[in-house]
Amino acid sequence: MNSVNDTISSLHRVVKANEDIKKVIRISSGVNLVALNAMLIAKRSGERSRGFAVVSSELRLFSRNLDAAMNGLGELIFSLVRDAAAMQRQRQQHSHFMAVMKTNKSVRKWAEPTLARVEARMGVVEEAIRRDWHRLRLQLNRVLQLCESGRSLSRSAKIEAVYGGDMSTTLKQVASQIEGTVDEIFSTLKLLRMQLAD
Amino acid sequence: MKKLEFIYEDGAHKWAVVARDPEKPGHLIDTNEYLVLNGSEALLADPGGMEIFSAVFSAISAEIDPYTIRHLFASHQDPDVISSLALWLDFNPELKCHLSWLWGSFVPHFGGTADTFVAIPDEGATLSLGGLALDAIPAHYLHSSGNFNLYDRKARILFSGDVGAALLPPEESSLYVENFDRHIRHSRDFHRRWMGSNKAKLSWCERVSRLDIDMLCPQHGAIYRGEDVKRFINWFADLDVGSGIRD
Repeated sequence: MNSVNDTISSLHRVVKANEDIKKVIRISSGVNLVALNAMLIAKRSGERSRGFAVVSSELRLFSRNLDAAMNGLGELIFSLVRDAAAMQRQRQQHSHFMAVMKTNKSVRKWAEPTLARVEARMGVVEEAIRRDWHRLRLQLNRVLQLCESGRSLSRSAKIEAVYGGDMSTTLKQVASQIEGTVDEIFSTLKLLRMQLAD
Repeated sequence: MKKLEFIYEDGAHKWAVVARDPEKPGHLIDTNEYLVLNGSEALLADPGGMEIFSAVFSAISAEIDPYTIRHLFASHQDPDVISSLALWLDFNPELKCHLSWLWGSFVPHFGGTADTFVAIPDEGATLSLGGLALDAIPAHYLHSSGNFNLYDRKARILFSGDVGAALLPPEESSLYVENFDRHIRHSRDFHRRWMGSNKAKLSWCERVSRLDIDMLCPQHGAIYRGEDVKRFINWFADLDVGSGIRD
């Protein structure tokens, strides 16, 4: 059954996507800490950093939302791994029965119904894998939209840092750190989306 | 391609073996699969590994209706014994697999549902194949800790699993042991290494020496017939097993 799309069901491809998602999860856990740090600095700076404090608080909320969204991606990857493994097993079984089909006619007749059942199962798993990839792409788009809001927040943090008086330099450093982290997440996810679009 | 050869025939009661696969890749150990037929029912003993399924299935299907196979018997849990289980169940989900209770939750990793397995207690059991009694004879620790042979009282055939196995060179590919002394050289190291307990070995020798056996059929190597059966049991009783580690 050569119609099965090798690329779609490739466990290798799933593993690669998962590595990128794990990378983003690692980076995003840093956002929460940076945002918390920003809030504490803003609190120390007092009234002059009120704007920065508001942005920092929003960034913490963004970090929590990002965390939840990344968990959603992780669950989809789990589902893909399960289905890709099932497909690999079905393929293996298919190849064994195909080997039987290469023998004489009297033997082939016994294997044909089983082969048909295996192919039907492969069709079902293939469909599930297509659905999984589609859901993964949709979720990835949602996460990227979320990251856009994160980037806006990090830009706002940079603007608010300017009004931080004698704490301005520290606030600017923190704002740059936030911007760098969010940008890294954004570019990793964009790259992943590009890979998944192939 | 493997071929099915009948080694015993008495009307509808037959034993056949699928052995010697010249097309088998060299990195796989050669195995013998035994088919016991009684009328419209058949049992396949140690159905073999996944990689040789197509060869075994084709060899059997060329001679008999494979749907007559209602039972699989796994002497133990090894991959060369039963890793083809999922493929056999793909073909016929109703198949029953008889094996030691010890492996009841391990072998399902190869496939099957809770309904697939029939657990054999440590003391053994008698299976019925269309009314023909087949005795699961304990052979624990030889080499697996949950291990059974299968004895057909009527045919006087003992399927002995790994006991009696030989790793034969290609030039000695006879289905039967023709020269015991020459053959047993290919068994010695295998038994010294794979069989771990002298106590279990003596217990097995004592148990099977009470049986009337015309053919002792191992999962690897050649079949012992007639006097060679007794010769093998005596040879095995004297062998110091659990001693095969090379220094």
